[in-house]
Amino acid sequence: MKQLISLDINGEIHELAVAPQASLLQVLREELGLIGTKKGCDSGGCGCCTVHVDGKAVYSCMVYALSVQDKPVVTIEGLAENGRLDPLQQAFIDAGAVQCGYCTCGTIMAARELLSAVSDPDEEQIRHAIAGNLCRCTGYQKIVDAIKLAAANGA
Amino acid sequence: MTKTNVLGNSVPRPDALDKVTGGKQYPVNVVLPGMLHAKLLRSPYPHARIVNIDAGAAEKLPGVKAVLLPGDVPQRKYCPVYFVPTLAPSMVQDMLVMSDTVRYAGQPVAAVAATSARIAEQALELIEVEYEELPAVFDPDAAMADGAPQLHEGAENNVAVNPVIAFGDVEAAFAKADHIFEGTYQTQRVHTCYMEPRVCVVDSDTGGNLTVYSSMQHLFGLREKLAFVLDMPESRVKVIKPAYIGGGFGGKLDIGYIEPIAALLSLKTGRPVRIEQTRYEDFITTTRNPIKVYLKTGISKDGRFVARYAESILDCGAHATHGAEVINVHGMFGILLTYPCADQHWEGKSVYTNNMIGGGYRGYGSPQGAFAVESQIDEICEELGFDPVEFRLKNAYKQGDPHPFNPQARLDSYQFQACLQQAAERIGWSDRKPAGSDPGVKKRGIGLGCQPIWVSGCVGFPDIYEHSGAIVKLNRDGTADLSTAAVDLGSGQITTLCMIAAEELGLAADQVHMTYADTDTVPFDAPSHASRVTYSSGNAVKAAAGEARQRLLEVAGGMLEASPEDLEVRDGMVCVKGSPEAKVSVVDVVTRAEAPFVVMTAEGPQPTNLAEKGTIIGLSSMAPPANPSPATVEFVEVEVDTQTGEVDVLRVVFAHDLGKLIHPAGAEGQVEGGFQQGMGYALMENLAFDPDSGACLSSDFLDYKMPTAVEMPPKIESIFIESDEPTGPFGAKSLSEPCVTVPAPAIANAIYNAVGVRVRDLPITPEKILAGLGKL
Amino acid sequence: MTLTTLENYFLPGSGTEVVELLREHGESAMILAGGSFVHGLAARDLLAGIDVFIDIQNLGLADIVAGPDGLQIGAMVRLADLASAPDVQSDPGLGAVKDALHYPPVQIMNAATVGGNIAAVCPYFDLPTACLALGGKVTAQGSAGSRDIDLEDFSAGLFESTLGKDEFLTGLVLPQPAPGSAGAFIKLESNANDLAIVNVAAQIGVDRQGVCHFARVALGGGVNETPLRSAAAEKLLEGRKLTGEILKEAGQAVQADISPMADHRASAEYRSAMAGVLTERALQRAVDRLN
Repeated sequence: MKQLISLDINGEIHELAVAPQASLLQVLREELGLIGTKKGCDSGGCGCCTVHVDGKAVYSCMVYALSVQDKPVVTIEGLAENGRLDPLQQAFIDAGAVQCGYCTCGTIMAARELLSAVSDPDEEQIRHAIAGNLCRCTGYQKIVDAIKLAAANGA
Repeated sequence: MTKTNVLGNSVPRPDALDKVTGGKQYPVNVVLPGMLHAKLLRSPYPHARIVNIDAGAAEKLPGVKAVLLPGDVPQRKYCPVYFVPTLAPSMVQDMLVMSDTVRYAGQPVAAVAATSARIAEQALELIEVEYEELPAVFDPDAAMADGAPQLHEGAENNVAVNPVIAFGDVEAAFAKADHIFEGTYQTQRVHTCYMEPRVCVVDSDTGGNLTVYSSMQHLFGLREKLAFVLDMPESRVKVIKPAYIGGGFGGKLDIGYIEPIAALLSLKTGRPVRIEQTRYEDFITTTRNPIKVYLKTGISKDGRFVARYAESILDCGAHATHGAEVINVHGMFGILLTYPCADQHWEGKSVYTNNMIGGGYRGYGSPQGAFAVESQIDEICEELGFDPVEFRLKNAYKQGDPHPFNPQARLDSYQFQACLQQAAERIGWSDRKPAGSDPGVKKRGIGLGCQPIWVSGCVGFPDIYEHSGAIVKLNRDGTADLSTAAVDLGSGQITTLCMIAAEELGLAADQVHMTYADTDTVPFDAPSHASRVTYSSGNAVKAAAGEARQRLLEVAGGMLEASPEDLEVRDGMVCVKGSPEAKVSVVDVVTRAEAPFVVMTAEGPQPTNLAEKGTIIGLSSMAPPANPSPATVEFVEVEVDTQTGEVDVLRVVFAHDLGKLIHPAGAEGQVEGGFQQGMGYALMENLAFDPDSGACLSSDFLDYKMPTAVEMPPKIESIFIESDEPTGPFGAKSLSEPCVTVPAPAIANAIYNAVGVRVRDLPITPEKILAGLGKL
Repeated sequence: MTLTTLENYFLPGSGTEVVELLREHGESAMILAGGSFVHGLAARDLLAGIDVFIDIQNLGLADIVAGPDGLQIGAMVRLADLASAPDVQSDPGLGAVKDALHYPPVQIMNAATVGGNIAAVCPYFDLPTACLALGGKVTAQGSAGSRDIDLEDFSAGLFESTLGKDEFLTGLVLPQPAPGSAGAFIKLESNANDLAIVNVAAQIGVDRQGVCHFARVALGGGVNETPLRSAAAEKLLEGRKLTGEILKEAGQAVQADISPMADHRASAEYRSAMAGVLTERALQRAVDRLN
């Protein structure tokens, strides 16, 4: 049975009727047209669906929409401010870290949490922070470079 | 090497901005009005006959709009592979869209289209299928034995194809060899793991015309296969080119089931139908075939190959799909052509089993061969006291030699030796210690693996399409549009082709845009596969850009009163060579060409020049002139924990002759990503299945292990050698696939150097290493 | 993925409501905390018949309090919050917990909860093994009120707890580690986002003469249906000076106490051998923490 709930996505409040089994991922993509958050495995294994809930990176495929009512959710669409890219987004472009791009947004969201907590992370911290984001294209090397570049640019 | 202005720079990728802000244009995002969602019911049994299907209850479920059963689909057998004609004699046509004979666990047996994916799933549960289970066989050797269940008509002993290739007299040559080495090498089934699932939306109109959106690697292949399966003219099937897809790696090089099923459901319902596979469905849809290689090599006492004999057995799974081609590429480029040897004999068998079906995957049979050949070379060197680098240098082809695959041609650009020497120096090969000599619990070792001969496309292969085309059109704002059917999988095809066009036109890279294309609007291009896009599609793009450039110069010549041969294009200006003041902007030239013939002036209407009127556009459609070989070497340093068997990769040095380095960061990205795949292949990936039921056991990323950022080495160094291939666009050859082929043998050889354990079957798990150390 | 057959999703505001819902819906109800193992359970067919979730995030169970009993950790405390708790960060006696919480990827750390992790009774998880070595207990609430259950008595088998049908786990209590004690935990996994092939937690106390006066060695992963302590290893260590030789012997001793399984991750022989290696290494790490 659907429940009428209020979701706070990227600072906008949405009133939606949501089924109990609906994941946050499903609601973002199918109800709200926020397609930047992606489904790669739907089972908490690949990280393509990573978003922030209360400022913390989580797998949105494993989070029930009903469990995040009224909690601030931020997706990749909420990172850029007034058309200006988040330094991480710019760094991914500049460091050549984007190939097919399917893992990119989820990885940026994971790295975003790291850089908000640690302004100058070392290599081990960076790799650990993105351990939950699988990439088949890049071998992660330029992704790590991009995160370092973003940190250096004061992300 | 000609100096280039655009090529050689790591320009920002045109698609990167879209991708970092969300990525609107993946096929997975396509939504059409009235779209239905379809789901597939899959057999739990590996081998069975469907006795009866009752979908009555499913059809009545509210929201269900159509059901498709095996009896509803065309009974035209086909080969699903995109890059060959559907009825190509060298391939095997053994697939139906849906069959009432099940040959692997997970094979689709019914489909439902409904107003939501959830309703479709609920409907599947209401379909009752009565199966008659049949005996199943999962091992290729067992499948070939007498008495095994026969899986396809006409395939005696379940052998789908059985190529034999021989040169010289291998028996006589073995008799003369000073040393003979034998070994059996086994590789495992792995998955490409593209991150965007296979997904399609097929729409139809009342005339029965289809429009197809799909995450795939070949527009025209999809059109051809779909039209064939549905028995309709190709011109009634339009495939829209996706701006980019979320990874392919060869795993999206065949039609699978979803497009024909979606098409049939769309025709039935009159609505667009979408099918998106789950990760589990993707795991069982396309795999790299396991191959068992028996390799016997005769060596002279001065360390040369004198005789080579091999037998390869490939596990096709339930259908041949790519297996008939993979075995040939494996035999040729994985074994026979790797090093010159006059007397060789190779026999391959692609065998049907009730395992999941294979697909394309980067390397296409050569990783399985390289693992055997490159491992055995090290075994030979260890036994006979040769240095593995010196041995390869001594035996390798040299620049100028006849091309081993196409002896009419030569290895005009071929820097394999330079790759070996430079990479050996960079890794510190001369400091390498004897096997197992590192003291302590954790032991280090260095090893190498090579792919001496590969391809830049498919010229020379029987039955494989190899021609490309492009349209280049100049705009009045000084930019150019490029239309081609070449799909960007993530490896940077858009960037590369735009850069080639820009270089040819004399524009900056960001002034060339890759635009919309579909099978109605652009010439044929072969798929994004076989490391071909830079060389083959690149040549076509260069030609089309050249034609547009020529027209530009003709119009500019009229404006500057100069001959086109005396003009050049630079920084958005057309100038007379040697007289930089005599110039006109590209913007002005194109504007003039597109302007009205008669212009209204203060003096009244004035005619201009009819001959200069018209869109400045270039078109090409052509086969590439050759199939030049790149050369690849990789050195790896590992550290093995002799108590747990765990392997840490510490350093990687990769060296590759690619003809011309077009985009350094992009090229490095191919190497780095290829290493992730090759390292996973070497150490941890395995698509496991239940030996009794054939059910896939590792169908999510918790059970299917591939390297994360944590397991990867801290640095992968790339050395690119530019040998300036005469037939390549601005000297370019190819890069991508060898990046995946060389890591596994390099890692296997490094492990041997570290701990003296030789493992001949992948993946080299910690357990196998410990067993090799006698600790288990 | 989320469970696709849910009919109802409740967000009760009190423990009493939770108990009432459990009684009303019986076998078709499940407590939801972080929800990060729903897929894992569903994939093993352990959620057949579940169509009601009772989400306990609004019961005020998200606190960590240092109390007289030890560290009281509410069921809804996220793994990330436990990892960053000052005591866990700095007390070598909580080293096993700190180590166990180093492994999961950040997305799991932020969603998974201590309560969910313990209540799953999954031998491949890490925190339960670490807590077993520390001698923790859980608190539960049911229609008969609240009670404590020692971790050693919490498992009734694979994925099954000893909670009653109308009970739910409200928290975990970890006893204050004795001064001069240290713990460590090591996990063997195939890659960085994996269930444990084998994991070992070691908790030791050493006196001024360097003699071990207590030792607890817990093992989990595929070595047994539920995490267990190795009496053989513990007996061997107590009263001895912890030299490299003794630690090695302890590693050999654990093999008698475990019943490792074989699956596509590892054979029983490998698990057995690794239980020994990891025991030795975890003990060494605990010893190093003391110094």
